Amino acid sequence: MKLAEEEYKALQKIVGSEYITREPVILDTYNQVWGNTFFFDEKHSVRPAAVLLPANTAEISEIVKVCNKYGILFKPFSSGFEYLSLSLANARGILLDLKRMNRILEIDAKNMRAVVEPYVSVYRLQMEAAKYGLYTGRIGVGYSAGVIATECCHHGCQHTMVFTSGYGRNILGVEWVLPTGEILNMGSGESGADRFSADGPGFSLRGILRGRTGANGGHGVVTKASVKLYPWYGPAQWEQTKKPGEPPSFGQLQKVPDGYKVFVPSFADLDTTLEASEDLCRAEILCAFGIGIIGTYQIQEGNDEEWAVMQKMMQKTAQSFDPAGGISVTNSVVCVIGGRSPGELEYKEKCLRAITEKWGSDFSEQFNEPRALARAFADIMWSNGVNLRATGDFLPSSSSPDGSPAMLKNLALKEGEVKKRYEESGVFLSMGGGRMVSWRPEEHLSIGAQGISTAQYDPYDPASLAAAREFIDELFDPRSPFNRYGVPSRGGCLQIEPVTHIHQNWGPLYDNYDVYLRKIKKMLDPNTVADWTAYIPPEYPDYAKDGDYVLPSYGKDEDI
Amino acid sequence: MAYQDYTHDMQRCTRCSYCKWIPYRYIKSTDFMEGCPSLARYNWHAYSASGKFNMAYSLLKDRIEIDETFLDVLYHCHMDGSCDVSCKMQQDLEPLQLMQELRIKCVEEGQLLPVHMLVIEGLRKEDNMMQALKADRGKWAEGLDVKDLAKESAEVVYHAGCRYSYDEELRPIARAGLTLLRDVGVDIGIMGTDEACCGGRAYELGYAGELTKYAEHQIESLRTAGVKVLVTPCADCYAAFKVLYDKIGKKPEIEIFHITQYIHRLIEEGKIRFTREVPLTVTYHDPCHLGRLGEPWIHWQGKETKAMGPMIIHDPPKKFRRGANGVYETPRDILKAIPGLRFIEMYRIKEYAWCCGAGGGVIDAHPDFALWTGTERLREAHAVGAEAIVSACGWCKRNFLDAAAESGDNIEVYDIIELVQKAM
Repeated sequence: MKLAEEEYKALQKIVGSEYITREPVILDTYNQVWGNTFFFDEKHSVRPAAVLLPANTAEISEIVKVCNKYGILFKPFSSGFEYLSLSLANARGILLDLKRMNRILEIDAKNMRAVVEPYVSVYRLQMEAAKYGLYTGRIGVGYSAGVIATECCHHGCQHTMVFTSGYGRNILGVEWVLPTGEILNMGSGESGADRFSADGPGFSLRGILRGRTGANGGHGVVTKASVKLYPWYGPAQWEQTKKPGEPPSFGQLQKVPDGYKVFVPSFADLDTTLEASEDLCRAEILCAFGIGIIGTYQIQEGNDEEWAVMQKMMQKTAQSFDPAGGISVTNSVVCVIGGRSPGELEYKEKCLRAITEKWGSDFSEQFNEPRALARAFADIMWSNGVNLRATGDFLPSSSSPDGSPAMLKNLALKEGEVKKRYEESGVFLSMGGGRMVSWRPEEHLSIGAQGISTAQYDPYDPASLAAAREFIDELFDPRSPFNRYGVPSRGGCLQIEPVTHIHQNWGPLYDNYDVYLRKIKKMLDPNTVADWTAYIPPEYPDYAKDGDYVLPSYGKDEDI
Repeated sequence: MAYQDYTHDMQRCTRCSYCKWIPYRYIKSTDFMEGCPSLARYNWHAYSASGKFNMAYSLLKDRIEIDETFLDVLYHCHMDGSCDVSCKMQQDLEPLQLMQELRIKCVEEGQLLPVHMLVIEGLRKEDNMMQALKADRGKWAEGLDVKDLAKESAEVVYHAGCRYSYDEELRPIARAGLTLLRDVGVDIGIMGTDEACCGGRAYELGYAGELTKYAEHQIESLRTAGVKVLVTPCADCYAAFKVLYDKIGKKPEIEIFHITQYIHRLIEEGKIRFTREVPLTVTYHDPCHLGRLGEPWIHWQGKETKAMGPMIIHDPPKKFRRGANGVYETPRDILKAIPGLRFIEMYRIKEYAWCCGAGGGVIDAHPDFALWTGTERLREAHAVGAEAIVSACGWCKRNFLDAAAESGDNIEVYDIIELVQKAM
């Protein structure tokens, strides 16, 4: 569904003809993302009517006003690396590619915060902040994620949350183009002062801005954000190197940077691992922490090389695919500690060793040799990238921010039982079938943790894809035993309301929270122009609400 | 292969966008973290490798057709392969090969850029990519006391390539390369007027037939001349003889050397000694065709299969070209051996080097973009404190000279042969 000439010209006038396009060749590169096949039965979602590359806040404000005038849907994005980042509810929608808004505006070292534009990536800010002895946490999607997307707009979590927190708790003041086109400065920014606080003296709208899994563009465009930074104990610069002839993916730190230490203790069984993990996290000594996610392993350059290594392991050990080769990965944890002084580091190490000794841990040589620890450090602090190579896709199946460790354990094990059925039938990747629980503690576990387990499937293998949908249907069924673990945000990734009906189906189970969400949406976006596909509509369209997918009716109305 | 053969890759591109930057773990400066000149300059996702996967998939699904925009996007690309290296940090995909096949498809369907048509017309008529006369091919070597392989025999043939042969500013470099090899006793000769284009650049424009034609011609000429070794100062020619001919099943039965490799060998044998100081702070620009694109071709035939459930593997196992086996250390070793020369690295080097701007037909069809890319590289050279930028390819030197002139940059631009000559 194309825009009328008058509508297109109105948008073109704002950004100039170089920065707007309606060329099908280019538009069709903005509707093919990784998760589309799962949702829409094909790689293409709705083709946008136009894509714009705005340069600044004023342009975005004007664009949004035009959208209100003509009833055009809009959605902003930065890197676009997400399950459904580019989906639109209808073909009369436009996308705002924020690539040109790419500046780190300020690093306020004294007050430990940075002000950035939307296209600034997490790793870029990490590199620049390190020059000031500061750090920003990473999220699961990896180093290329936008800082603003991470903090303000989207679900995001990772193993540094034990130290840096996450889920919007790092947002200070923001500049926000509301779905009406008005520019709102939240918190201290409203007074014209620096954006040092989200909570005043102006209005604090931090909870409304993003909530738990983020509005994903459904609340307008955050054009500048001030975010908290945390101490960085390492050097201002670092280098990852490899030997000549080695594949580029073998580049790594040669040792853990000075100022940090990494430990990988292994425990006797899952219960001990989890209990020890609680103690470790609550000791308030960690900069990063991960259970069962062992970045010590040298990932091979390709699937064939990976498979060759696994086959050798299978021959050598009864543990089959476990890269630990006898020690269970699922019962091992990565602990990163850091300190400004040798004394601080020594104290933290002493605490860590006391806890691990209490729980009878073993420090295997394989996990704790210097290069393995350096690999783990880089992966857990910065990310080594998201690897979708194995099967082509994964489902972040369980996800429950702010859950207690006990609840997350029960959820993961129950889910594991379901997943095992699919693994055994060969439609999901099977790594040996061990009991696996992984959670990501927030703020030294003081406010719980986020749990996640993944099911890897092949979206272009019909049996595997069908199984993936069946699996998610089973977990998303509000009548199922999983309904006691909270709303299945599934990392935000599978919350695409026109397809999965999460809010519609689960709202009534959880205090009708969806009613409030819809009221907020309606208040902020009276003309419903901010795309709500990954958020919530002001009113639910009339569609089935039995938990099943509505495939493939959604996305089929476009005029190609 | 045809572009449809990369359907798997089109489907599996996740839009991670890693192809837009150099591999993250190698970023040393946030000012120089972009890897794809096309995307950096033109912004739209289509200009990235991921965008090409998307375009190809839409074409395959009849959602779009090859139109002016399609050609504009496809040919605003240096085919430099930076995206290929970054993509393969995480994936088993072939973005560069897909782009190559898209160009071949465009040519096969008559979807041509007028400028490239002129270049190819010149090639077909005069056997060179410079729109110059074949009769002038050997002018660069006039007056040199060197064997003419049409009349005499030698062990080594020196293939100057189109750029060095016809670009008057670069001819002295071709002469210097030849004379320094001759003077240290290499049994070397040239084809003179009979030297023809390697066909590599035509192939990159999408003219696959031209590569086959010139590969067959070269192989026959080399056989007739009875040489055992080919040495070329041109990185593009090196990649054609070494990689592309092998790719299309026409691997020459002689040894192929880039001149840096041959000089390196002569240094190790003690036949070349550096006796003069070259007091210069120099940075080295990796030519794409000597570096990542100079990695030997790996033949594979087999099928996709699965392990551990849906894990995608190959039978037999498939080795991907990930850029690691290009020629990187050899030119650096040469530069580091020059007395008085201070060598410094730029931020984007080796597998993830930024392109000079001349590749993929851009210098012909979109010279403004070629200059923009070259200027970006010169900016990087300045940022690390280099007085001079040195490369090992005539196309790189040409574009850097033009970029420097256009932007008023006074950086010195060298071919590595010139520095070797200064040091001898």
